Parts: sequence; structure tokens; C-alpha cells
Amino acid sequence: MRTKLGVLATGLGFFCLAMPAVAHHGFDTEYDANKKFTFTGVVQKVEWLNPHMRVYVDVTDPAGKVTTWNMEMTSPNTVRRQGWGPNDLKAGEKVTFTTYGGKVVETRGSLVTIKRLSDGRELFVAGGPDASVPK
Amino acid sequence: MKRILVVSATVLGLALALFVQTQAQGRVTSIPAGGTPLLPDNLVNGPVPRLADGHPDLTGPWLGGGSNADIEREGGLKPGELPLLPWAKTLRDGRKEQDEPYVACLPMSVPRMNPYPWKFVNAYTSKGLTEIYILHELGDAGAHRVVYMDGRKHPADVFPTWYGHSIGRWEGDTLVIDTVGYNDKFWFDSRGTPHTDKLHTIERWTRPNYGTLINEFTIDDPGAYSRTVQLKFTARRVRNDIELMEDICTENNQAGIAGGYRLNSGEK
Repeated sequence: MRTKLGVLATGLGFFCLAMPAVAHHGFDTEYDANKKFTFTGVVQKVEWLNPHMRVYVDVTDPAGKVTTWNMEMTSPNTVRRQGWGPNDLKAGEKVTFTTYGGKVVETRGSLVTIKRLSDGRELFVAGGPDASVPK
Repeated sequence: MKRILVVSATVLGLALALFVQTQAQGRVTSIPAGGTPLLPDNLVNGPVPRLADGHPDLTGPWLGGGSNADIEREGGLKPGELPLLPWAKTLRDGRKEQDEPYVACLPMSVPRMNPYPWKFVNAYTSKGLTEIYILHELGDAGAHRVVYMDGRKHPADVFPTWYGHSIGRWEGDTLVIDTVGYNDKFWFDSRGTPHTDKLHTIERWTRPNYGTLINEFTIDDPGAYSRTVQLKFTARRVRNDIELMEDICTENNQAGIAGGYRLNSGEK
């Protein structure tokens, strides 16, 4: 118990200390922390581009209508330094993801988590914007 | 007893963390900087490497060492201590973060340091150290900041540019960089702290140990400040295997669309 609490305190401390200020632009000018969605869909493309990496996922609703979610992450260099690369997520793969919605354009989101369904692996988690958003 | 102590420590830790968070953020949500690995704590106090000419090697790469979200707080001042002239305070307080030129991929300039690595690059020629270049992974907008180390003076007819005209010299182990000729377009921080083209800055860079770089920074801008301002920023060495990577900010900048605003559409 002691260890767990200690680890918890340390972990939370580091979490908060690690919370940075603005990298390229702010979260709350673009995204709504009260709009959080989870969907399953198929990856349309993954952009390892600057200033922010992006993942586009096609989500089909029960009526068959397809909506493409365009979700922003941190910089591709940051994700690369965490050990991820272009082979980790490719177009056509099925994923479950959680995202914050855009304030005005809801389907332009800020990616929180994304899981590859073929092997259940969570991808890019530490690089996602949720690293700085209170849960 | 142990349990009480641990719980107390946890509460204290949380309170401290929240305090730091509040102090550091001023708001709760932002796109993270995260992810650039820093030098481990046990290597920070190591010896300062030296150049062949005996001066400390300030190369880096480093993380931080300048302003980012709020120059007043990050530079070590209390709220309201920054001696902005009334018009400049009004301008700052009316600015919206999304209107900052940096968000549109223009240069962040001096003394801003976004949360990506940067470095000094010493350019040695047959005449010795003639220039130092300052390179940022992101925030230079493809430009390079040059600091002339060859003893030249500022030109008498300097015209305003994003990085101005910088001349440097060594004072013992301190690298002193004196810059004039800035334009008034860039902001000191995402809060919108302004300056004018009368801005003159002095940076005094020291490396007290292997992992730390200190920037004693002077703002001299009678156009926007009632007196000169002395600030202090600290940079941390990034992990030894980390190098600067390519980051072409304009290649796919979609900032603003999700939030329904156009970049750089407001006051500059």
C-alpha cells in the first residue's frame, strides 16, 4: 500500500510537472474538453507531417454513413522519439480511438488514444494530446 | 503512522503538483510539448565540456531556456511586475493566442523557446570562431539566427528583421549576445507580451554544469517598457542521443480550422 501510494504520488507529480505549456498552439482555442468521443473505424491515412502528426479514420454509422475523423497529435518528431514509426499504423487497419472534438468542426479532433484491433495494441499514447488534458 | 505519513506525503505531493501546474499553465488544457527525453538527473551535475579554445562548449541540444507561454512568470517575475507601458499592457491583454504569428509558422524569435530541442552551432573558420548559429527544431521558420563573433559592431542603419542583428563575445565563461534591429511582429509568448522595434536584448549564457544552461536575459525597449527588465531562464540538456530533427512547420499547418478561426487574422 505504501509503495502504491508513493508511486501514485510520484507519478501524479511527474504527470503534472511534465505538463507543458504551448507547443505549437493551444488546446482550448481549437478543441472542446467536454466533447469526448470513442469510435471504431478504419484508418484512411496517417500523416507524419509538421507541425502536428494526424490520423484520419473513417467511421461508419449504423445507417452506413461514413464520417472521416481528422485527428491531431503532437509533432511527428515527438512521436518518433518515443519509439514509434510509420510501420506502426497504416491505412486500412481497424482501430478504436478516443478523441476530443473540435470546437467548431467537431470531426477535427484532438486524439486521446488509439488502439490497433488486430493485436489490441495501444499506439502513440504518450504522444497524444491527452497527456496534457485532465481526465 | 507510516500510513499517515504516506497519505500526507501523497496529499502534499498532489497539492504541490497542482500548484506547479496552476503556476505553470494558468489554464488546464494545452497541446503537449512532451516527449523530448531529457538528460537523466544523475548526469546533470557532470563537468562542463570545453572547446579547443578553452571556452565552455554550449552546443547542447537544449530544451527551454526562454519564454513560451508567459514571459513574466517564466522569467521569474511576479504577476504584474513586468513594466509594460499602458498601451503595451492593453495590447497584450487584448491579444488572442491564435493570432500569434508563431501559430502561423512564422519565427518565434528571441527569447522564446518552444518545447522542442535547440542548439548553438559554433562556426570556426581560418579566423577562429567567426559566428555562432542558433538552430531550433521548430520555431525558426526555416531561417537561422546568426551571432557574429568576429568583433564587428551593429550597423548604424540596421533595418528591422525577425531575429535582428546579433553580435557576441565571451566574458570569461559567459557568452554575451547583444541584439538590436528586431521587428515588432513576434510576440514574447503565447500570452501576447509585446515589444517594439526599439527592442535591444542582452543574453548572458552560462553553463554551470553538464546538464544546465542559464540565460540571464535583459529587455531594453523604451518603446514598450518603462525600464529595462532583467529575467532569468534555465535550459536543460536533452538526452545525449537526441538530435534536432527536420520540422517544416508550413508543410501541413491546419491550426485554426477545428476552432473556426483563420490564422493571423487579427491584430499582429
